[in-house]
Amino acid sequence: MNVKDKLNVVARVRSVAQLEQRVADLEADLSEMRRHNLRLAEIADVVQELLIPMASRDEVKVQEAIERFNKSL
Amino acid sequence: MLRPLRVRSVDEQGIVVSSRGDRAVDVFFDGQRVWSFWVRRDTEAYRAGRRLAPWPAPLQRFLDGSTRVVVREPGSSVSYFDEEISFGDGEERIRVVNKRGVQLGYDKSGKLMPTFETRGRGDIAALVAATRSVLDALASAGVQPFLGYGTLLGAVREGAVLGHDSDADVCYVSDLEDPVDVTRESFRLQRELERLGFETSRYSGAAFMVQVAEGDGVIRGLDVFGGFLSGGRLYLLGEIAVEFERSWIYPLTTSLLEGEEMPVPARPERLLEATYGPGWRVPDPAFQFSTPVRTTRAFNDWFRGLSPNTRLWQRRYARRARHLPVRRHPSDAARRVAREARRLGAPVLDVGAGRGADSLWLARRGHRVTAYDYAAESGLAVVAAAADEEGLALDVRRLNLTEWRSVFGEGARLAHSPTPRVVLAQHVLDATDTQGRRGFARWCSMALRAGGTLVAEFHVGEQSQDLEWSIGEVDPDEMAQWLTDGGAKSVSLTEVKRRKRPTVRLVGEW
Repeated sequence: MNVKDKLNVVARVRSVAQLEQRVADLEADLSEMRRHNLRLAEIADVVQELLIPMASRDEVKVQEAIERFNKSL
Repeated sequence: MLRPLRVRSVDEQGIVVSSRGDRAVDVFFDGQRVWSFWVRRDTEAYRAGRRLAPWPAPLQRFLDGSTRVVVREPGSSVSYFDEEISFGDGEERIRVVNKRGVQLGYDKSGKLMPTFETRGRGDIAALVAATRSVLDALASAGVQPFLGYGTLLGAVREGAVLGHDSDADVCYVSDLEDPVDVTRESFRLQRELERLGFETSRYSGAAFMVQVAEGDGVIRGLDVFGGFLSGGRLYLLGEIAVEFERSWIYPLTTSLLEGEEMPVPARPERLLEATYGPGWRVPDPAFQFSTPVRTTRAFNDWFRGLSPNTRLWQRRYARRARHLPVRRHPSDAARRVAREARRLGAPVLDVGAGRGADSLWLARRGHRVTAYDYAAESGLAVVAAAADEEGLALDVRRLNLTEWRSVFGEGARLAHSPTPRVVLAQHVLDATDTQGRRGFARWCSMALRAGGTLVAEFHVGEQSQDLEWSIGEVDPDEMAQWLTDGGAKSVSLTEVKRRKRPTVRLVGEW
């Protein structure tokens, strides 16, 4: 194998390694994005089930909302 | 045509077979199926080209005494082995039963469970009735549920529950197609079932379990799996992600299960093939899912990670859940908490109470205590019952630090009744992940809003990583910063030695 061929092999190995790294990075980025789904759902549920009843400032309703919410988890 | 299979011997090591092809076999003790395995997949190389199927760990402790061992083709009368075998020194017949005397069989999750084949007609009828009531409840809440997984397979293939199964599965495919909306819908459905009086517990963002009690106290889990269609793919918790048509599910049709008409997908064979592969028509009691990595990764990212390590704690507590914790002395942190609580005249919140030894000790010394844990089987129910009997002020509540809804829900409850409190967190911060540690700081900011003290201990250093329950390493300074951000006026960190392991005691003042 001459020098040119050897350099070609090195370049190919390097490019495969770079592609592998890019795939791993993309998977990690995708995973990071996807994990926000559950958190967003949790926050939306807290707002709907806890925060909105609390905004009513009706003490009985607030107490009920807190108890009902905790029981449903 | 199945290739020849020969069972060469059965002894305390396991079952030695020789077979050129792979296939499932059932193992019976005195007529009771106790185990099923694949003769190549689940075996290891043995002498002279033969293969050994070692007894699974849960079954090993029963191997003392005599029994008639039969190895048979599933769902047929073809036996490969039928002999009386003696194990150990025991002289009695081997009985694979639980403490209540209920017969057990090895199920798909690798546990010995009261499988349906060992249950009476009454129990099966009770489960079918419970399945019906859960289906009705879900339908009244606005989704269109149908039988799924093993329950669907049983109904379509045999018109009955599968003998080797131990639970019932219900699925629905949402009209929504975004994981956020699908999760919120699942939260709503669980709330609706709780409102109707069902006992439930959640194990992912789109799946939860309904606990159904059978006649003799066996608690049977009925899983409710959410699904959705997006981009021409069906995602159905917890194993399926395939190209699929909505018209293969809806409108639902019916199939008979134990003589009862039950809802099933419009083309059940399509879903069964997506679930169990093209061989779904052939019984396989030792079936194992080989879920593609892509599917598992999507479900993990979208819906899972709410309760890291719960299985480990359930396993650790399972054997002792019915007994009060036996510990001679309270933890050092609990002693410190007792002094603080007395000084402030404040109630104690024991976070991650585990089996409740410290909580019980504190309550017996006259403190008002709330014991928190996230693992349902932690054994705190026994502590609560004992406290009730002794007239102690001990309350048991669920708190999951990695679940925002739990942190905010319980935090809101405490913040709503502002009073100084003392928080004990004995090896909680090292038993949860970063999300949980942040959740703890957030919860403290709500629980201690009106003042109080936090006493926490956690292992640090590389040594802490070899503990079975440890998740990651706690950075004490980072933890102190999060607590300060959560309103702590001062946080002190002291290095101590506990059981020869480097440990940090953290004391926060609010």
